[in-house]
Amino acid sequence: MANHSSSASESRFMQHHFVDADQQFDAAKMGMWIFLVTEILFFGGLFAAYVVYRLWYPELFTLASEELNTLWGGVNTVVLIGSSLTVAMAIKSAQLNQKKNIAINLGITLALAGVFMVIKYFEWTHKFHLGIFPGEFYSFEGIDHPKANIFFSLYYLMTGLHGIHVVIGMGLMAWLLWRSLKGHFNSEYYTPVEITGLYWHLVDIIWIFLFPLFYLID
Amino acid sequence: MSGHHISTDKTLLGVAGALLFLTILTVGVHYIHIPSPWNIIVAMGIAIFKATLVAMFFMNLYWDEQFNSLLLISSIAFFALLVAFTLLDTLFRPEIMPGF
Repeated sequence: MANHSSSASESRFMQHHFVDADQQFDAAKMGMWIFLVTEILFFGGLFAAYVVYRLWYPELFTLASEELNTLWGGVNTVVLIGSSLTVAMAIKSAQLNQKKNIAINLGITLALAGVFMVIKYFEWTHKFHLGIFPGEFYSFEGIDHPKANIFFSLYYLMTGLHGIHVVIGMGLMAWLLWRSLKGHFNSEYYTPVEITGLYWHLVDIIWIFLFPLFYLID
Repeated sequence: MSGHHISTDKTLLGVAGALLFLTILTVGVHYIHIPSPWNIIVAMGIAIFKATLVAMFFMNLYWDEQFNSLLLISSIAFFALLVAFTLLDTLFRPEIMPGF
């Protein structure tokens, strides 16, 4: 990039073992992508378990899915899409040196992630109230299938692991928000915003698959 | 090739709008009750299209170093291998093991 050439513009976050800021940026980004590969395979084990059980007990998935609220699952999908948009906006704001907009967009992202977790909390506690627990703790009578607990074991494991990722993402967003308020990010240096954004978009993609796989079975 | 592509508001809002539309579409299709297996094929097709939009335009792979796309594609390939080899076992058992 042309505006990276002068030494005066080099960020104080530039580390000496890189040739230039661009190399540092690209190395960080590739590292994040390699981490995302491990994340996809981490979730992949659970998705594989889902495929195995759905092919063994297709009728169970149709029956048990009715206990999940399509409206709230859909609202959460829209909430996460919105938060992905605001992360992308935060990165764009950094690239254009609009420092105030970085903080605003990160703040909205953090709030939307909070909305997602609050909705998840109400979904889970409603099920606990009915006796829908994973595995051997399952005590709900409303689904006429001997393996009903298996569907909800998968549901809690997959949405739970996803939820843990959202909570970690909220911590990262809070950290980015704090740093953006301290003025750390600008068009020369916004690597943490960029790679946290990649993580956040992957969390969004995982939910894009979880939503139809659990809520939209007929 | 550069990792510093700056997306326009138009692109970002367009992609978000498309994702919103596809979410409404997949819920709408769910209530039509397409016969199996087409319901799962349509639902997964829409999800894969949505994920591709996010990967290309929010995660910037469309403008990025192609190596990062290769990483993503390789993870999907290994996931497919995991599922395929697992199903070679679980789909061809004479009976499902008790307790499973």
